[in-house]
Parts: sequence; C-alpha cells; structure tokens
Amino acid sequence: MKGLIFSVKRYSIHDGPGIRVTFFMKGCPLSCWWCHNPEGISPDPESVEQIEKVGEMEFIVPKQAGEYYSPGEILVILEKEKIFIEESKGGVTFSGGEPMLQPEFLLEALRKCKSAGYHTAVDTSGYSQPENFHSIIPFTDLFLFDIKHLDNLKHLNFTGVSNELIMSNLRLLLESGKDIMIRIPVIPGINDDKEHLESLRDFILKNKSRNLKKINLLPYHRIGSSKYKKFQVPYRMDGVEVPSPSRMKELKQYFEETGIKVKIGG
Amino acid sequence: MIISPRVKKLREESLNAVEKLSPERALLMTQFYKSDEAHGLSAPVLRAKAFKYLLSNKKLYIGDGELIVGERGPAPKETSTYPEISLHSLKDLEILDTREKVSFRVDAEVKAIYEKEIIPFWKGKSNRDRIMNLMSPEWLNAYNAGLFTEFQEQRAPGHTVLGYKMFSTGFLKLKQEISETISGLDWTGDPQAFEKHEELLAMNITCDAIIIYANRYADEIDMLAKEEKDQSRKKELAKMAAVCRKVPANAPENVHEMLQHYWFIHLGVITELNPWDSFNPGRLDQHLYRVYKKEKEEGTLSDEDLFDLLGCFWVKFNNHPAPPKMGVTASESSTYTDFCLINLGGVKPDGTDAVNEMTYILLDVIREMRILQPSSMVQISRKNPDRFIHKALDIIKTGFGQPSCFNTEAIIQELLRQGKNIVDARNGGSSGCVETGAFGTEAYWLTGYFNLPKVLELTLNNGFDSRTNIQVGLKTGFAQDYSSFDELMAAFKAQVNYLIDIKIRGNNVIMKTFANWLPVPFLSLLVEDCIQNGKDYNNGGARYNTTYIQGVGLGSITDILTSVRYNIYDRKRFSWKELLTATEADFKGYEQIQHDLIYDTPKYGNDDDYADQHAVAVFEIYYDAVNGKPDSRGGIHRINMLPTTSHVYFGSVLGATADGRKASKPLSEGISPSQGVDKQGPTSVIKSASKIDHLRTGGTLLNQKFSPQFFEDEESYNCLNALIRSYFTLDGHHIQFNVVNAETLRDAQKHPELFRDLIVRVAGYSDYFNNLGEDLQNEIILRTEHENA
Repeated sequence: MKGLIFSVKRYSIHDGPGIRVTFFMKGCPLSCWWCHNPEGISPDPESVEQIEKVGEMEFIVPKQAGEYYSPGEILVILEKEKIFIEESKGGVTFSGGEPMLQPEFLLEALRKCKSAGYHTAVDTSGYSQPENFHSIIPFTDLFLFDIKHLDNLKHLNFTGVSNELIMSNLRLLLESGKDIMIRIPVIPGINDDKEHLESLRDFILKNKSRNLKKINLLPYHRIGSSKYKKFQVPYRMDGVEVPSPSRMKELKQYFEETGIKVKIGG
Repeated sequence: MIISPRVKKLREESLNAVEKLSPERALLMTQFYKSDEAHGLSAPVLRAKAFKYLLSNKKLYIGDGELIVGERGPAPKETSTYPEISLHSLKDLEILDTREKVSFRVDAEVKAIYEKEIIPFWKGKSNRDRIMNLMSPEWLNAYNAGLFTEFQEQRAPGHTVLGYKMFSTGFLKLKQEISETISGLDWTGDPQAFEKHEELLAMNITCDAIIIYANRYADEIDMLAKEEKDQSRKKELAKMAAVCRKVPANAPENVHEMLQHYWFIHLGVITELNPWDSFNPGRLDQHLYRVYKKEKEEGTLSDEDLFDLLGCFWVKFNNHPAPPKMGVTASESSTYTDFCLINLGGVKPDGTDAVNEMTYILLDVIREMRILQPSSMVQISRKNPDRFIHKALDIIKTGFGQPSCFNTEAIIQELLRQGKNIVDARNGGSSGCVETGAFGTEAYWLTGYFNLPKVLELTLNNGFDSRTNIQVGLKTGFAQDYSSFDELMAAFKAQVNYLIDIKIRGNNVIMKTFANWLPVPFLSLLVEDCIQNGKDYNNGGARYNTTYIQGVGLGSITDILTSVRYNIYDRKRFSWKELLTATEADFKGYEQIQHDLIYDTPKYGNDDDYADQHAVAVFEIYYDAVNGKPDSRGGIHRINMLPTTSHVYFGSVLGATADGRKASKPLSEGISPSQGVDKQGPTSVIKSASKIDHLRTGGTLLNQKFSPQFFEDEESYNCLNALIRSYFTLDGHHIQFNVVNAETLRDAQKHPELFRDLIVRVAGYSDYFNNLGEDLQNEIILRTEHENA
C-alpha cells in the first residue's frame, strides 16, 4: 500500500510540537478559494514545468508533483530525523491536501509511526467519513483541525463542500480525548466579519474541553497567481489584502478571551 | 544593560575612526636595531631589549572618558607595522591606501618615512624574505599555483589564549619564577643551559618592560588628573593611575584591575610581534566572575560602573584592526577583524556547569555594544541550561553574526585525544575562527589553508597546473587514464600526500626561522610551561604544541567527486572527454551539461549517503596525510577544517569543476555545503556534516543562514536549541547562524551607504557587509536561505 505525497518537509516547526517531518498528501475534496497548496488538490500525480536557471539561461524541465511512498519509506525518513525529533520532543505530521482522503495508507502509516514511538499529528479539514476518524484515533496524538466557516452556505460557497460532516467530526474528536488544535484561516472579507468571529468564539466557548490545546490563527497570505497557473487551478482571490499584523494581534486578543492559548500562525 | 553616554561616545569614536597606517613602531624598531645596544646579543635578549625600547618610547594615548587605557599605535585604529616580519614596499603602501576594501590610509609623510628610514634598513632582511629564500622550488610552485597559503609569511605565529594563571598573577611574581628557574639551571649536566639562560634573561627584561609601560601610563594619568577641572573625572583618573601602578606588576583583585591587567598584556603581545589571531582573553566569564563575586559581596561595584568598565574594555578591541596585509595573504584573510574570540559558558575545571552570572552580563554587553571586535562565542555543554542558549539566540537573531555556537564536549574530547590532561582540556575552548586549544598552556599554530579541490584538478591533469604552466603535482596520469573511480581516488590520495609533505617540510623550516631569529620572550611568559622549560613560545616552550593545516573546500570537492562517480563511472552519462571539454570551455556552449551537473546530480548537504561518502573519504585521506607528523618544535601536525576567506582565493585559481561550478567562482566554505545545493533544510545539512569525525580535528566550521522567522517565538527557540544540541550530540564542533534575508543583502549591495552597520557572518567570524569584496558579498547572498515556505 502506498500513499501519494507531494512534499516532504523536514525541520517543520509549525505543524505541532517540536521539530517534525510533515508529509503533504495529495488530493483534497475541498476547493477553498484561498488555498495556498493548489498542488495538493488533485488526487493524481501531475506534471508541472519547472524553470531551472544556469547563468542567464533558463531550462524548462517537466517535474512530477506527487510521489508514492510506502509506510516503510515514511519510517526511513523519520529515522534519518530521529535525533532532532527526540531532542525537541517533536514527531511526524500528515498534512495535505487532505490526508483523510487516503485513509488506508494514513492508518497504516500512523500505526507504524506510533509503534516506532513517534508523536503523530494529523492536519485535516475534517471532511471525511466518521469511521475513518474512528480508526485513526488510537494512533494519533494530535489533530490540527481547520474551521473555515460556521455558516454552512458560505462554507459551501467558499470551499465547495458543506460543513455539516466537518462539524460533527470535530465534536467526535473533541470527545475522543485526543489533543486538538483548532486552526482558523483569517480570510479578509470571507470569514473575518464581526458576526462570524462572534459565532466562532461562542462555538469554541461552548465546546471548550481539556483536550482543546490551542487556537491557531492563520493569516491569509498571497502566494501569487503563478502557482495557480502552474497547476491550472482558477485563482479567485485577486484584490484581497493580507491582514495587517495589528489586525492579527487584535484577533488574537479576541480569541484569548476564550481562555485558550492563541497563536498567530502555525 | 544600558550603554552610558561615556561608552556610547567611545563606541561612536571607534566606529568612526579611520584605519591608518602608523610608522611609529617600525621607526622605533629601526632606531633600536641601528643602535649600539642591539649588537652582540643572543636572539631572545635582542628581541627583549627591542620590546623594552618600544614600550619605553612609544606614544601614550588616553582618550577622553576612557577607563581602560593603552593603544598599540599612537591613537585608535592607527595600526603598527612589523618590518622584521614583512616589509611593505611603497607600492604596497599605495595599494593599502587606495584599495576599496580593508584599506589603510597612508599619509605622504608616512610614505616618506618608509622611503627614507624603514625600507633602506629592512630591505631583504625581513623574515618574509628569509622564508621565501629558504623554501624549496616544489613549495614555491605549489604556493604560486594556489595549492596552499602560508600563515607565517606576513604574521608571526600566535594562536594562543590567556589562561587561568595569568589572570591571577602579576609580572613581579613571574620575575621571581624566572629567577628561581635560573638558579636551578644545571650548567654541567644540561647542554641547553646557556640557551635557557639567555631566554630567561630575555623574559625577565620583558617583565620589566611591561611594568615600565604601565607606570608611564600611571604618571601620565596622574598629570592629567592634576589638570582636570571636573571633579568626578579627576577622581576617576586618580583611580586609573592607581590601577596602572598595581597591574600588571601585581595580581588583579577587582574587575577594573583585571580588565586593565589583561589589556596591558594584550598590548604587549601585539606590540612584540604581529601574532595571528591577535590575542585573546578566552574564558572571560570564568576569570571575571571570581573578582566580580567578591566585589558584589563587598558592595564595592555598582552595575553602572561594571557596564561602564566592560563597555570601555570592548571598545579597546574594536580600536585595533588586524595589521595591514598584502598579496595572497590579504585575499585569504581579507578583513579588519583580528580574530579575538571571547568564550562564554562551557564547563569548569572540575567538569561542572560553568555558566554564571557574569556569562549573562557579558551576553548583555555583546548585545548592547554590537561591534565587530571582539568576536564572541558560546561554549555549549550538555550541562549548561537552556536559558543560556536562549539568551545567545536573542543576540543571534538580530543578525549580528555573534555569538557562534561551540560544542564543549567535542572540544574536550578533541583535546584529550591530542594528549592534554583533563583539567587543561576543560580549561580550553576555541579561538580565532573555530580552532581548538588548551588556553594558557598550548601553542596551536595555524600554518596555511590547503586547497583540496585544486589537488583533484591536478590529479585529472597528470599533476600539471595549466594556469601557471608548471608541473606541481605527481605524474599520476590524466583523467581518461583512471579506469575506475577507485583508481582515481588512489591517485588523488597520492597527490594529497605528496603536496602535504611539501607543505610540512616548509612548515618545519619556517618554524625554525621564528625559533632562531624571532623569539617572543614576552608571549612566552604567558603560556605555561615556557618559564619552567627555559624555552621560547616560538621554540616549543609551551606545555602543548600543535601545528594545523586547514583543509578547505570540503563541500566542493565532495560534490565534484560525487559528480564524477555518478555521471562518469556509475551512470556513464558523460565520457571524461565530454565532461572535460565542457569544463575547459567553462560550460560556454555546454549549458545543458552544466544544468545536469547542477540540478540532476547528488550533492553534499542533503543527508544523502551517495554524496556524503565522498566527504568522509576525502576527510580520511586528508587526515592520514597530515595527522601525527612531527613538527620542528616538538609538536604534532594535525588538521582542522576552516577557510576564513581563503575559499574565495582558492576558487579564483581553479577552473570550472564537475559540480557545475564555473571557473574562478568561490569554493564552499568550512564544512558547509556548496552555496545553494542543500535543499532539504538544516537537519539534513547537519546530518551530512556530522558524517566526518569532528573529534579527530582541531575544529570544523559549519555556517547556516537563517531567515529571521526561525527565531520568532518560544517554540522556534526550543527547536533551534534542539537543532544545536542534536548537532552536538552527533559530535559537531561548531555551528553559526547568519540571520538575514537575501533581499536585505541585495539591497545593501546596491545601497551600501544605507547599511553601514550591517554585520554578517562570513566564515568563522563576522564582518561588515560593506567591507567584503563583491564576490564574497555575492557568495553570502547565494548561501541557502532556509525560507519557511
């Protein structure tokens, strides 16, 4: 069994505690307007053109986005990073794309990582069948869980899917006792209006539990439309400004009123 | 710590002072050598009397508001020359005066003095002339081809650091020791008794000389005090005069005395000759803590006074640029920095955690002073608290390139392997860039950089250097003659051995020139056991003697060998003929090949064993060639891996290479990967770099450039802390962080006037970005930036 992964990041320090290796898994059922990983959307390997410069000369080289890894190969990479992971109390994170889109591989990889003693994290949109979550819960130490919009219609509009399944999975995980960090992308004009922020805060207050460890506020950042063109995904964020640092600070304070630790960024 | 107006003013003055060449020392030296007093003396006594003449006659300088006094030249940044070591010609002076980087102003008056007084007397008599006359044709050929450099060609051996003893004793006590050793001489049983007697007499004279110098200051300050109208300055001056009467004749007993005591010693060392790495107070937090604690308990030292003293002391180092160099030496070490590296942290002589209150105070001083010199480092032991590292990271993140991080456990193991006792090893540290030494007991000389990729170039061309058109190496064959990679490596090994032997023969001769003609009785007082041995520092008098040859270009040679193996022998992608045609054309018209060499060939720095095995292979060949060979002063040759700026010079004498590097471009520096080839982030670089056995070296240098966002919060700090500690668990010797983004650097290159204070980590030391040559600037920009994409 193999998983399709489009990027492996070592010295990953914003996807859970300590120094981690993050595996970005390819394929996502959502199509968020602000997605900064368009290469993670399609569930198949893609060929993209990469420019490699030699002096002034440019070579256009076809590169494959997405490679297949077996759970054993995941462990080989972790073994190479073991000393850093142990020293920093770090671990491994499966992100995406949407890792839950490859549930069998994910389960097997998590099982192997866990039994080798690694701290495991899954960074998910929450959009997957509950039984998939049920099966990985025993092998996952931490969930990084996105809340994009609480209003179902808006969620549908901006991400392409309903949030009903996502919210019920979040409740499922909150009850599971596993550590959870809620990640809220802050997208100006889309989910940062007063009304939505208030309902977010209320939601968190209502669902506050001991295992809800942190709220991460992820400021929208422009990655430019070039990456989109490369992957032939339409870019719908023209004209949206990046939230200012002072605005982010303000939001941080706002969410800190819930009594939960808030961090700007991952 | 808040910088007081006094220190702020002195700091500004130091930053704004223009580097100037001062003829004072050369003139005094000439006068003395011409005088009747200089005749009929043994070498040590001659040098001692010359030293005494210098210190009795050189101009004194007491800056307004200074608390610590003494300058090498007549004023800050007025820099002495050393004609007995190397003589600047009028043309050299012209170049120094007008060159764009690291220039020294040379007034018309100074040029006239040189023309009339200095050059006529010293022409043909400098040690540089002596060395060049003594070197074999093979040595000269290899030197001119850029196979190695020679440290002692323009500067004297130094590479030593003051240890515990001299922070707790005075020169009157040393005079006593000398006199006891003289009375113990065995004139009937010891054939060396006369030489020892002369050396000890010389040492005794230099004790008097430094005391005379300090007393001259005391007298001068007393006079100033009498005239001073400001009552508080008057009081201050009276105190300063008293300090100068007490030290260095007697042991220092408070912070003020200790700093002035050290500073007189420092000036003595850099006035006697121009030793490499100037001189160094070493484990300053350990030495100061003792007197600081006492004063704090007695309530005699306020924090304001402490910071004022330390600030004044810091400025003193910055007032002293490295003596002006010329020719190849100027390009191998192109900087005003004189490599004074303050050590903080580490372990105590009993092996316990040495971090103390003074460690943190000095880190504050480093952060607030933010000047080029002195440089600083933290010795990190498993036993040191995380708080210590975090405090160092606070400074590193400001992009100032200091302090660099060293592995105490590695340093100790390196020293133990070399035969030092455990206490001497724990009292050791690193000086210069990254060089391991036992402080106060060891003379560990660096003798030259060795151009590893150039050896491979010769190996591919039957030992013939096409640039100088000279047969430099052995005739081991041409590239096409090597039917397997192993055959190529065997030929490379033979060439390394041959060229290292040439270098070692040169070293052993050059050492003797210093032992015979240029002993340093003053420096010998400071390093144990020169007095007991009755032997000069330059003649093997120290307890431990080590001679280093520094391997350069490990990343480059690894990538070149990896490429040759991968593309020619393993995958047979190109023939030797195709590859050599491309490199000889400097890849003009062969860009596709260059592309494949750069983008589609494994590289060192990515934790890829296929590439990294060649780093290990080269390391072992180099180690075997050098390690354990005796030197001519009773010491042992050993290796370390650092470049200063020689990787730029060494690249300039090298044609295009199989890693896709164009001709004349810089080599990789230290044991860092080639610029821009590490694609997997810092953990993979660290894994690659730790595959060589650091513990069998006397220091390695790993440079990592980070963008500031790696330092943004507590979690990032913890990860960096873990990154450093992991590298050190893997026996890594040293790692330094350049925190700046490439955009800033490009901007600085375009608008140097706006970035006057931009300090970057170069290689083992920091420098103002503006002071670097354009090629080095470009190289620093190129170094991989680990963007948090």
